[in-house]
Amino acid sequence: MADHVIIGASAAGVAAAETLRKNDKKASITIISDEKLTLYSRCLLTYLIAGAIDEEKLIFKGKDFYEKNNIKTLLGKKAISIDPKKKAVTLEGGTTVSYDKLLIATGATPKSVNIPGVDKKGIFTIRKIDEARTIIGMLDGVKEVAVLGGGLIGLRDAYALGKKGKDVFVIVKSPHILSQMVDKGASGVIASTLEKNGIKIMTGLAAKEFLGGDSVNEILLDDGKKLKCQLVIIGKGVKPNTDIASSAGLKVEDGIKVDKFLKTSDKNIFAAGDVAETYDVARQANRINALWPCAVEQGNIAALNMLGKEAAYDGSLSMNSVDFFGLRCISMGITKPKEEGYEIISKSSEHSYKKFVLRNNKIVGMVLVGDIKCAGVVSALIKKGIDVSSVKHILCETKFDYAKIMPLVKKFSDKFKEEEYQDTIASYKP
Amino acid sequence: MSKVKVKKDKDITIYCDVTKCVACRTCELACAVEHSKSKDLANSIIEKDTPRKRLTVSAINGKSISVHCQHCKEAPCVTACMSGALSKDEKTGATLQDNEKCVGCWMCVMTCPFGAIVGDSAKHIAVKCDLCPDRDDYACVATCPTGALFAGTKKEFEKKLTKKKK
Ligand SMILES: Cc1cc2nc3c(=O)[nH]c(=O)nc-3n(C[C@H](O)[C@H](O)[C@H](O)COP(=O)(O)OP(=O)(O)OC[C@H]3O[C@@H](n4cnc5c(N)ncnc54)[C@H](O)[C@@H]3O)c2cc1C
Repeated sequence: MADHVIIGASAAGVAAAETLRKNDKKASITIISDEKLTLYSRCLLTYLIAGAIDEEKLIFKGKDFYEKNNIKTLLGKKAISIDPKKKAVTLEGGTTVSYDKLLIATGATPKSVNIPGVDKKGIFTIRKIDEARTIIGMLDGVKEVAVLGGGLIGLRDAYALGKKGKDVFVIVKSPHILSQMVDKGASGVIASTLEKNGIKIMTGLAAKEFLGGDSVNEILLDDGKKLKCQLVIIGKGVKPNTDIASSAGLKVEDGIKVDKFLKTSDKNIFAAGDVAETYDVARQANRINALWPCAVEQGNIAALNMLGKEAAYDGSLSMNSVDFFGLRCISMGITKPKEEGYEIISKSSEHSYKKFVLRNNKIVGMVLVGDIKCAGVVSALIKKGIDVSSVKHILCETKFDYAKIMPLVKKFSDKFKEEEYQDTIASYKP
Repeated sequence: MSKVKVKKDKDITIYCDVTKCVACRTCELACAVEHSKSKDLANSIIEKDTPRKRLTVSAINGKSISVHCQHCKEAPCVTACMSGALSKDEKTGATLQDNEKCVGCWMCVMTCPFGAIVGDSAKHIAVKCDLCPDRDDYACVATCPTGALFAGTKKEFEKKLTKKKK
C-alpha cells in the first residue's frame, strides 16, 4: 500500500487527493497544510470582503470531504523540509511524514512592494482567509482605500471595496489599466464602468512611501502628491512558494520544473498548481499559470501519475474571468503579443470589445469585454490548435457559437476526440 | 412526438442529429416553459421571472444544431468552477449545478467548449441544462418534432443514423 503525501490543501492539493482516492480505494493519503481552514476557495475572498457571500459559501468541497475520502490531515502545520533520499517530509515541530510519492502543491504568495512604511498596519495583500477576516474587521473605520496595481488582481480587490461603499483609488504605473492584457480602447470600456461606480483610477503613478504612525493614513505618490487612505491593498501578482523544493535540491526556475507528467527532477516528487512551471499551449513555452482551473487540472493529472498511470498533461492555458458591476471580461492566452508574426482581429463599441490574437491562423489569445458568450468555444479552439481560417471573418460577431465551428469539428475530427463531439462528427454533413 | 422515458445515465445522454434539425426552435420553447413556475406556455410568458431556455439552436451553412450542456465526461466547467457549484454525479455522469454556491464568476462560461452555459444577469448565476429534474423525460427531446434530439446510448444513436442512411 503506497503512501501518498500532499503538501498544500487548496485547489491543486485537494483535487489530487480526490483523484487519488477515486482511483485507489486503499492507498494511504495524507494532506499537509499550514492553514487551519482548508477546502475554502481563495478566489472567493474578494466576494467575502465585498459582502456578496458569507464564510460558509467559501467552502468548495463538502465539509466531510476528508472523512468521506479517508484522507489523513495535518492542518495548521508547515512543512519545512523534504529529504528526497529518505523520502520524508519534516514538519515544523519536528514530526516527519514518510512518503512513496509526494506532491508539492504549496501555491503562491502575493508579491509585496519594497516601499518605505510597508510594515505599517492597514497594508495588506489578499490571499488567505486570515487576511480577509482582518480586513473585514477593520472596514468600519475605513473611508478611503488605495489599491496598488491595475491588473486583474488589483482591480478585483478595488471592486470588492468599492462594493462596500469605500472610496477606492487604484494606483497604476502604466498609462492605462490592464496594460498587460488589452490596449487602451478596451481598457477604457472597463475603466469607465469602474469610475461610474465610484472607483477612481490614477494612472501613470506609483506609491513612494506609506505615511502615518503605527497605521497607514496617507500614501506619498511619485508626483509629490499625497493620497489619504486608511487601508492599502497591494494587488500585484504572486510568486510561487518554491523554497521547500529548492532546498530539497529539486530543479526550480520560475517555478518548480516539471515534465509533462508533472514530475519534478526527483522521480518520486510531483508538483502542481501555482507553484509549478508547466508548458503553456498558447505560448509554447514553460510558464507558471497561477490560476484555479490550471491548479485543479494539474492536481488531477499529478495524482494519476503518482498512481503510475502515465497521464500526460496537454499543457496549461492562461485564462481569467471577471465581472465588474455587471461588465463581464475574459482574457485568455496571448493577449498582447510583443513580437512579430501575429494577426489581431478586433471589434469595439462603447460597451463591448472583442479581440482575437492569431498565429498561423490559429487562435492563441482572446480578450472579451461585455459579450463573453463564445469564450468557451474559443478556449477549445486554442487548446486544440485548430486552423480557423474559414471562420476568421465571423469571430467577432455575436452569433459566433458552437454551431459555427461544426465544419471545423468535422474537418479536424482527429483533434475533437472527446465523446461529446461525436454526434456532430457523425451527423454534420457539409 | 416521441415518448421518451430515459434519463441520464453513465451511458445515456442527449444527442442531436444535425441532419434532422430544421431549426424550428421547438426545443428552446419547451425548455423555457419546462423551467418556468407554471410549466405552461400561456402562463409562463407572464411570469415575473421570464423563463429561460437552457439550450440554443444555431446554424451554419443551412445546417443547424440544438446545443445544450453535454454533461462532458471530463468537464472543463467543473475543473474551472472556483466556488464548488459545479460537480459530476458519479452515478449518472450528469454535470450538476448548485445554484446556492454559484457566485457568477463566469469561469464555466469561459471554459464550456459548447458555449452551453450562460450567465443570468438578473440572478447573477450561471444557467445550464439541468436534465429536467421535474419530469421523467426531457422537454427538448419529447417535443422535438423531427426526431433530431434523441436520448439514449451512443450505440442507439449510431444505429439510428445508419438506419436512416439506408
Ligand atoms: C483573491 C483571489 C482571487 C482569485 N481569483 C481567481 C480567479 O478569478 N480565477 C482564477 O483562475 N484564479 C484566481 N485566483 C488564483 C487561485 O486562487 C490560485 O490559482 C489557486 O488557489 C492555486 O491553487 P494551489 O493549490 O496551487 O495553491 P494555493 O491556493 O496557494 O494553496 C497552497 C496551500 O499550501 C499551503 N502551503 C504553502 N507552503 C506550505 C508548506 N511549506 N507547508 C504546508 N502548507 C503550505 C498554503 O498555505 C496554501 O494553503 C485568485 C486568488 C486570490 C487570492
